[in-house]
Amino acid sequence: MNQLYNAFTLFFSLLVEAMPFLLLGVLLSSALLSLMDERQLIAKLPRNPILGAIIGSCIGFAFPVCECGNVPVARRLILQGVPTSLAVGFLLAAPTINPIVIWSTSVAFPDRPEIVLLRILFSLAIAIIIGSIFSVQKDPRPLLQSMLARRLNTFISRPSPRVTQEKGKEPLPALLQSGTFLLSGEGSPIAMTETLARTPVQQQVLPNKLVQFLENIALELRELGGMLVLGSAIAAGIQVFVPRELILSLGQGTMGSILAMMVLAALVSICSTVDSFFVLSFASTFTTGSLLAFLVFGPIIDIKSVGLMLSIFRPRIIFYFFALAAQLTFIFALGYSYFG
Amino acid sequence: MKKKINYVANYLPWLDAVAILAWGILLLKYYFSRQLGLLIHPNYFWLAIVTGILLLFLGGLKIAQLIGTKSKIVSQSSGQHVSLFPPGWGSSLLLGTAILGLTIAPSVLKSDTALKRGITESLPLTRVQPQAFRGDSKPEERSIIDWIRTLNAYPEPDAYIGEPAKVKGFVIHSPRLPNNYLLVARFVITCCAVDAYPVGLPVKLLNESQTDFPPDTWIEVEGEMISETLPETKNQDETINKRQVIIAASSVTPIKTPANPYHY
Repeated sequence: MNQLYNAFTLFFSLLVEAMPFLLLGVLLSSALLSLMDERQLIAKLPRNPILGAIIGSCIGFAFPVCECGNVPVARRLILQGVPTSLAVGFLLAAPTINPIVIWSTSVAFPDRPEIVLLRILFSLAIAIIIGSIFSVQKDPRPLLQSMLARRLNTFISRPSPRVTQEKGKEPLPALLQSGTFLLSGEGSPIAMTETLARTPVQQQVLPNKLVQFLENIALELRELGGMLVLGSAIAAGIQVFVPRELILSLGQGTMGSILAMMVLAALVSICSTVDSFFVLSFASTFTTGSLLAFLVFGPIIDIKSVGLMLSIFRPRIIFYFFALAAQLTFIFALGYSYFG
Repeated sequence: MKKKINYVANYLPWLDAVAILAWGILLLKYYFSRQLGLLIHPNYFWLAIVTGILLLFLGGLKIAQLIGTKSKIVSQSSGQHVSLFPPGWGSSLLLGTAILGLTIAPSVLKSDTALKRGITESLPLTRVQPQAFRGDSKPEERSIIDWIRTLNAYPEPDAYIGEPAKVKGFVIHSPRLPNNYLLVARFVITCCAVDAYPVGLPVKLLNESQTDFPPDTWIEVEGEMISETLPETKNQDETINKRQVIIAASSVTPIKTPANPYHY
């Protein structure tokens, strides 16, 4: 009973410490969704694959989302035709390389700055490497889940009228084209093609934006908050109920501890803004290398994000991500354990 | 059947709003009832307070919006997210935990946790290192954590022989120690209760025995530092004899649990 009470206290300690960061992440990503014009950003992105992977990995600073928010954003990026390397770099790095995650990690480990720094470096390196590998494949369609690939097909084969319109030529009147159109009172008819998907937000009026903002906050809070509750319960439970000897024996071996933490990271699926508080409960018993492995690997891939990524990529591609990321994380963490 | 779906769809946004409100109330309740210190480091109180206020505001806004749109079912967000939970689960989990938190107060970590986590007499290397060697502080004014920091900076036990000591902490019965010894300990927190780790000093009792002070009793120990060889309490499987600093108690008085039981 006493043990249960301790677990209860630790559970709430985790939740209370994590909730501010969760809310901040949700607020920012909701604000972005309703306010920012992604197209302007995308127009400025580089086309060079390696540079793309690097830039993609760093856009997380502009889109502070954790691993539930990054999938929809990456999906939109791909639909808007950014290079694959850039989208992949973003997908893998954004959950870690963003101001909120860096802040929460340094709150959790105020006296171990090397964890914060290496978490950033390792995640960046992995995202850039995998992004560059995928840049070999110029056409993203074979990588994509079939429905998304078909949507992209429509984009590529039928670009929006604005793009085809040549200077000096009269644009083809919309109503002479085939397809479905929206007839509005003023102005020209709007073609009901996928081009509509490219202009999702900015035509909305402000009250609508506020409603959307609120909706998105409630949505993300309940999804991520629910995940946080489950994750915290697991962490508190492990800390209190699993015998210390078992944890110590797992946590002290160099390789064993890294592998154990990577498995845990993949299973627990806790949001990257708050996962450093989760791992804190293992800080005294596990090697620093294994803590790093958790912090680097968890945001890249876990059960939850695999589910989300299936909405973009084919299963085989996700398996490649998983295998590459797992090996790179293991090598980096092991390297740190031996040479750090 | 259709009616039921409509009913659920109407009711779900309310669940979201109530869950958000409940968490706002819980965070502020922890602050006002002074329980926040049992959960997180005081440096981060403001984060919890601001979050509590924001959540109350957002929950209120959401309810205002729901009342405004009464019969209209608010459209769900346009496919920006792929749902992780079945409808209603996420918010129910949040609401359920908030209600639990509001009804049951958090506990103070006790000696069983300390024994489980391993009491250290030296700070683990990765932990807060002393900012400066406080050689000039009066020995009798040092708290347990001050003593540990001092010992960490200069570990030679003989250097402290004869110094007066007066510390407050809770009692731990270590299975490795003889009957007339106990540990007086405190938990140190760097981020939140999850990373609380115990530090303690062995106390040599004058006339009493361990049984006079059951575990988790809060005591004030007054006495003098001596050095003795005692079995090391940290390791589980092997006992290493180690010469260490011990408080030879001249008086041990039970005290009330302090309002702020942790060191930071």
